[in-house]
Amino acid sequence: MSTWKRNLLAAPVLLWIGLLVGVPMVLVVALSFLSRDNLGNIVYQFTLDNYRRVLDPIYLRVFWNSLLLALLTGVITLLIGYPVAYISANLPPRRRALALGLIMLPFWISSLLRTYGWMILLGNTGLINNLLLALGIVDRPLPMMYKFGTSLVGTAYMLLPFMVVAVFNSVDKLDRSLLEASYDLGASRRQTFFHITIPLTLPGIVGGFTLVFIPALGLYFVSDLLGGGNTVFLGNLIHTMATRGRNRPLAAAFSLGMVALALLVLSLYWKVSKDKSGEALFQ
Amino acid sequence: MKAKTRGFGTVYLSLFFVFLYLPVLSVVLYSFNASRSTAQWTGWTLDWYRQLFSDRAIVEAFRVSIVVALLTALLSAVLGTFAAVISLWVTSRMKTAIQGMMILPLIVPEVALGVSLLFFFNAMRLPFGVLTLVLSHSLFCVPYVYIMVRLRLQEIDRSILESALDLGASTWQMVRTIILPLVAPSIVTAALLCLAMSLDDVIISTYMSGPRSTTLPVHVFSMMRVGVTPKVNALCTLILIGTFFIIGLSQLITNKRRFAK
Repeated sequence: MSTWKRNLLAAPVLLWIGLLVGVPMVLVVALSFLSRDNLGNIVYQFTLDNYRRVLDPIYLRVFWNSLLLALLTGVITLLIGYPVAYISANLPPRRRALALGLIMLPFWISSLLRTYGWMILLGNTGLINNLLLALGIVDRPLPMMYKFGTSLVGTAYMLLPFMVVAVFNSVDKLDRSLLEASYDLGASRRQTFFHITIPLTLPGIVGGFTLVFIPALGLYFVSDLLGGGNTVFLGNLIHTMATRGRNRPLAAAFSLGMVALALLVLSLYWKVSKDKSGEALFQ
Repeated sequence: MKAKTRGFGTVYLSLFFVFLYLPVLSVVLYSFNASRSTAQWTGWTLDWYRQLFSDRAIVEAFRVSIVVALLTALLSAVLGTFAAVISLWVTSRMKTAIQGMMILPLIVPEVALGVSLLFFFNAMRLPFGVLTLVLSHSLFCVPYVYIMVRLRLQEIDRSILESALDLGASTWQMVRTIILPLVAPSIVTAALLCLAMSLDDVIISTYMSGPRSTTLPVHVFSMMRVGVTPKVNALCTLILIGTFFIIGLSQLITNKRRFAK
């Protein structure tokens, strides 16, 4: 077979991705430059208004909220998840398999259920408040729901397993003899950790951060259920604009803004790891 | 020193797993609470489960979800395996291109994908329903099948394939009798993963659901927005049991070698 004929085999794959990602994305870019009438119908007239509105202080605030949520999610999951990954990777084989199984199991558990669990724990009549009241620590329920922090807890909780698995894989590849060499040369445990372990597991850290950051931008059902819409995030805004708000051009412009934020983090990932395709992220 | 750090490790891990599973367990526990409120525990009941089966909207959403998930898993298994297997024949540049394209749906934020598909299907005048749900779900499922099958293909000894061709097998015979049986376990595991991901998807599904074809997660989401009710707990618990059934199946199929090393 000629190379041309062989490459023709890829046609169905190209068609699938072209129709479901390529064309729709072009459509979004085109829409973001169009305007709409009062009924929400598209008016075919070129405008930069949508981008001007994205830069409006009110909307910039939404970008900031989402960016902050995604960044903090990345930091929190790293701080909690790194030790988990490090400890589990160093366990004896059987317990290690058990730990890894328990870390991965939540991937299979409904994300709505996991969000809902926090509603039960944190609500005014929730389990944590029941406990605090019963122990006499507080005399009125602590208001814990519908805050920025609630959305953050839910989002970080949801994405924590991604971080742990990413770091776990890189700790796993760590060459133990390098650590021993470091101790032999008189380095303390602390020095070894910060000068050997951290730099060598950096690809896992950055990979985990990327895997957590991108979904954190758009998990709008979590911020909707736990944050109660008190803090507006990009995901909620785009969803409202595209559906009930009937302002599709603006929704398009905001979606592109979200894609831009994702690309920003991805470029960091590509720079630090040598994984050009990004496929290693999902293995 | 060593024993001390190990002790700390065990405590830290245990606390982490409590944190990880406490929300899940509290949902399950309160599905059996006789009281409507989580404020108090007034005894065990199965009433909330009974109410589920008489709720027609839930039963219908469940039916749609199952149909969508099965079709998605089937489509994704075929397309993902196809993409992985033909990568053995296409030029290396095309292979890299396929790799890059497969990553695309996974790195574009799901909200952006959902919005773009909403606009696209609208422009195409496709009715929103099972078809749009399956097509959109295939976006985040096909790449996983592709990646898992390709990893398995890399493990296959190339000399087996060469000897098959040397002995006069046609390319198709080789694919059918050697390659496909060898990657079959990976395909099945990946398809089960697709099933679970499709059954769990909220974000893309909210954009793709039609007036009479809401998926279960979209329906559950709208129930949850009203607040905490034991009926939702019961529904979530049933979904959890269903998911564990799928995991059990996939564990039977894959060996545990990958985790244990």
